Amino acid sequence: MPQTGTVFVQETKPKENLDIPWNVVVFNDPINLMSYVTMVFQRVFGYPRHKAEQLMLEVHYKGRSIVWSGGREQAELYVHQLHSYQLLARLERSQ
Amino acid sequence: MRHLRIESDGVNRLRLRGVDPVLLDCLQRLPEILGQRDAPEVRQRLFPDPTDAETETNCDWQRLIAPELRHLFEAAGETVARDLANLAPDPQHKHHFQISFAADHLNAWMSAINQARLILGELFQVTEADMNRPDFDLDQPKGLALFRIHVLGYLLQLLVEHASI
Repeated sequence: MPQTGTVFVQETKPKENLDIPWNVVVFNDPINLMSYVTMVFQRVFGYPRHKAEQLMLEVHYKGRSIVWSGGREQAELYVHQLHSYQLLARLERSQ
Repeated sequence: MRHLRIESDGVNRLRLRGVDPVLLDCLQRLPEILGQRDAPEVRQRLFPDPTDAETETNCDWQRLIAPELRHLFEAAGETVARDLANLAPDPQHKHHFQISFAADHLNAWMSAINQARLILGELFQVTEADMNRPDFDLDQPKGLALFRIHVLGYLLQLLVEHASI
């Protein structure tokens, strides 16, 4: 015999928040040393020196650089780490 | 600062040698400079929001993450302040000093010095153009701040090079 009754559906947060990649963006500032920023990129992301320097130069000359893209949770963790090194970093939704 | 260098000082210790009176003055002012973390313009720089427009995320960040960062930054400053108690004359260079500290304090040194540079930069609204100026008017507060930012930058560069070995 078929059961009848009311079905409750729990609303959850939109899935797009989790699926759409997030960018970790680092912004230029006049004080931080180029060598310091390079070292931080190597330490936080494990990038080889060459890649870390390329990203640092992009920050320096273009004013900002997307230094990592991926899931929201990991992106937040990276922003936290970059802030702990006093870099100006922000989380942005990927276009 | 031509004599300034970092060398190994036994097991797990480093020695900063050739500290001239100018750098010494900057180092001794570190606690005073770091004490200005809570100036409004500095706060925004040291504890920035993680997003451009997510108000809730930014509020949560300021409530949960910023205190953790503050603790980290304060601890770094305190470590350096304690290490500075080891200041002694450098026998190799007249009128110069040396400081011995644990090698695992290197990150604290980089953090404290970088904080101090950023704080001075925010307090005196230092721009890229200011940083590229070839000379400073040391009679003006901003000129003096720029001078200190560069002096501390010289030491920071040395520490970064050592950390990158």
